[in-house]
Amino acid sequence: MCGRRLWWLAVAWVAVMGATLLGSQPAIAQPTVQPTVQPTVQPTVQPTVQSVSPPDAACRLCHADSTETMTLPTGDVVHAGLDLGVLDASVHGASAAAPVYCTDCHGPRQRYQYPHATNPAQNLTQFQAEIAANCEQCHLSAEMHNPGHLQAAAGSAVPNCVDCHGGHDTAPVAAMQADPVGTCQRCHQQFDDPHVADVHAEVVANFGAGQSCQTCHASEPQSEDARCQSCHSLLTRQLTLPSGDTVDLHVNPEDIVNSMHGARVLQGVQYTTLRCTDCHREQGLWGFPHQPIDAVTRRQLTIGMQQVCQECHSDIFDRNADGVHAQHIVDGNLEAATCADCHGNHAIHDPNEPRERISQTCGNCHSEINAQYATSVHGAALLGEHNPDVPVCTDCHGVHNIPDPTTAAFRLSSPQMCGRCHADAALMSKYNISTDVFDTYVADFHGTTVTLFEHQSPDEETNKAVCYDCHGVHNILPVTDENSQVIKANLLVTCQQCHPDATTNFPDAWTSHFKPSLEHNPLVYFVNLFYMIVIPATVGGFLLFIATDIFRRIREWFGRRQRRKDA
Amino acid sequence: MHNAQPQYDRFNLFQRIEHGVLLVSFTVLAITGLPQMFSLQPWAVFMIAALGGIETVRIIHRAAAVLLIVGTIYHFVAVSYRIFVRRVAMTMLPGWQDVRDGLQALGYNVGLVKTPPRMGRYNFGEKIEYWAVIWGTVVMVLTGFMLWNPIATTTFLPGQFIPAAKAAHGGEALLAVLSIITWHFYNVHVKRFNRSMFTGKISHEEMEEEHALELEALTRRERSEPDPEGVQRRQRLFTPVAAVITTALLIGLYFFVTYEQTAITTVPRQQVDVFTPLTPESGRVQ
Repeated sequence: MCGRRLWWLAVAWVAVMGATLLGSQPAIAQPTVQPTVQPTVQPTVQPTVQSVSPPDAACRLCHADSTETMTLPTGDVVHAGLDLGVLDASVHGASAAAPVYCTDCHGPRQRYQYPHATNPAQNLTQFQAEIAANCEQCHLSAEMHNPGHLQAAAGSAVPNCVDCHGGHDTAPVAAMQADPVGTCQRCHQQFDDPHVADVHAEVVANFGAGQSCQTCHASEPQSEDARCQSCHSLLTRQLTLPSGDTVDLHVNPEDIVNSMHGARVLQGVQYTTLRCTDCHREQGLWGFPHQPIDAVTRRQLTIGMQQVCQECHSDIFDRNADGVHAQHIVDGNLEAATCADCHGNHAIHDPNEPRERISQTCGNCHSEINAQYATSVHGAALLGEHNPDVPVCTDCHGVHNIPDPTTAAFRLSSPQMCGRCHADAALMSKYNISTDVFDTYVADFHGTTVTLFEHQSPDEETNKAVCYDCHGVHNILPVTDENSQVIKANLLVTCQQCHPDATTNFPDAWTSHFKPSLEHNPLVYFVNLFYMIVIPATVGGFLLFIATDIFRRIREWFGRRQRRKDA
Repeated sequence: MHNAQPQYDRFNLFQRIEHGVLLVSFTVLAITGLPQMFSLQPWAVFMIAALGGIETVRIIHRAAAVLLIVGTIYHFVAVSYRIFVRRVAMTMLPGWQDVRDGLQALGYNVGLVKTPPRMGRYNFGEKIEYWAVIWGTVVMVLTGFMLWNPIATTTFLPGQFIPAAKAAHGGEALLAVLSIITWHFYNVHVKRFNRSMFTGKISHEEMEEEHALELEALTRRERSEPDPEGVQRRQRLFTPVAAVITTALLIGLYFFVTYEQTAITTVPRQQVDVFTPLTPESGRVQ
């Protein structure tokens, strides 16, 4: 460079210094924009002094065609030259809302006075970082704009503004959004994976109102949940398993927050909302990109997930393991229900609220039985009147350790099951139902046999009728209903199920749960009455006569002894 | 004990065997029947378990019932033979004399009457027992038939007869067992152990006390053997008639045991499709 030219540069520099010191100072105010809001360029430098020549005319003079280089202590090389066309085409160039001058970015000014002082940067990164720090004069601070990167592990190369947005060629935000991963991909090579890029593209494409890159990448500290949700709350795609089954990948985070697994106080203990990875914890599943899951079918996936429930609900899980559903799964019938089939997955709510929900839950798989139940005296009262007393599925079948209802043991204990309510005087009095039904059943041939079997050989089959053989199983009707299996008109047909040769009079052999009285079963009543009189009278007479005989023999014995003494 | 005293024949071997059969069948019926009547009492539950369960108890009970009925048929034939062929006096028939004997015995026991009654081959106490057994057996066999064959019964009787028969069967059983324990046990075991039903012989002292008139008759040799010719003649008529009646009764017994198949032998089951998901997707969550 010639000496005259350098002189002019120095003069121009002083002029710029004076002008910008006066004009640009007030613009260095920190914005107070929320970090989730797409940062925009703040209304920046409004030059109050309109220079004849631009304040960076002097910089441009040398750096436009410079081939000079600066070698930093670590050996990194900084090129002094730049393509002014690129600068002018960038967002900071001619199209900027307000002019951006070289020293707005390259500061501090003192060091950039000519002749330039030695730059203290040890390497290119430090050199860029100093420049990037100046972005905050106009833009959101890095902490607020992109805190995610600042959370990167210490020692790793923390990217600065320039790394992503470029230097002299700073791209418009719209251009970056058009290729959202292009910038990131430079460091984050996983976006080289077309699948990852594809997923990311779908997430970006599904941005709702107010959502942007920052929705996912700026909230800090970014929890694992947030990481999961950042994709899964926006994904609409389905995962296709090897079998062709699909799994919907969309998860509404609100579902979990509002579920039983949301934050709540249980028995005095405050629980926080369950995190995604509390359940989805299999190795490789929650890291990103996810590794393929083992399940071939969706059913396998669902069944596999029940192990997760066991971690916290081990007591229920153990009971369930004894139940018919778990046993069926062990036996290879994968249709049988697992935890999530009844309880749901993300939106788990109280299974008993409202009470009708129980029969609906069971009805998802057992629809035919549920339809029968719905028309029964119990089901109709539940569904029609919200009756709190009638049994729902679980009252008879149990909850988790549901026994196989086709076993002898279930059959033999079933009268006790019905008796829990039907022998409860307080409960039955509300509905004017006799509690004699249980005692009269047990006193009868059928009930006696069943009760004895239950006591003595609970796993042995007996064909003696239990309650539901006559009254129906799920379709139990009131005994006043014209379709009831046990009303007089239908009883013979019911009896004939087991007694095929039975004729018209046969059903009366059953005392219809009435204790014998003058009104009901008078013949039985009179027979009982007869023996209640005859037995004590006869045996009493015998005993009386025997007593007199003993009395005489004692007298005779004493008499003989007296005579022997006398003799 | 009374070896020195003369012994008198009282029961022949057939009668003693008959008693043995009755003793066995009655005891088995009582042991297997009472627990069924009081089936839910702890002692009954224990006994039923000890005997092999309620179904086994029922089978034993019915087997003993068949034995009792066979014994009863035999008794009917044997008594008929004695009455119609051998023309033995019907010493078991009750009469007013038995009432008087009973009252006199009672009066004697309490000291109102100075002398005990003098009684025949079967005294009033034995007649009470014999006829109680006859009456009881008739009631038990009839009601037992009804319980064993409820469908056959209800084709010609109202259904209520079945529970009534059950009530009567139990009531009569209790009456019989209590009568045996009180009246029979006291009179032949406690008061004095009467061995005649096992040895066939009865002592002079017992005869004097319980069968004074019989002793008197024996002493006077009033009992004479029937003429052999007449016995043979009557036997020719009796044998075919008895054979027919016995056959008929045994056929009746076979009918009694096998007539009806009261119930199916399988367990009644309601068939219902268990897995009927509302939609192919229901019951499936992700």
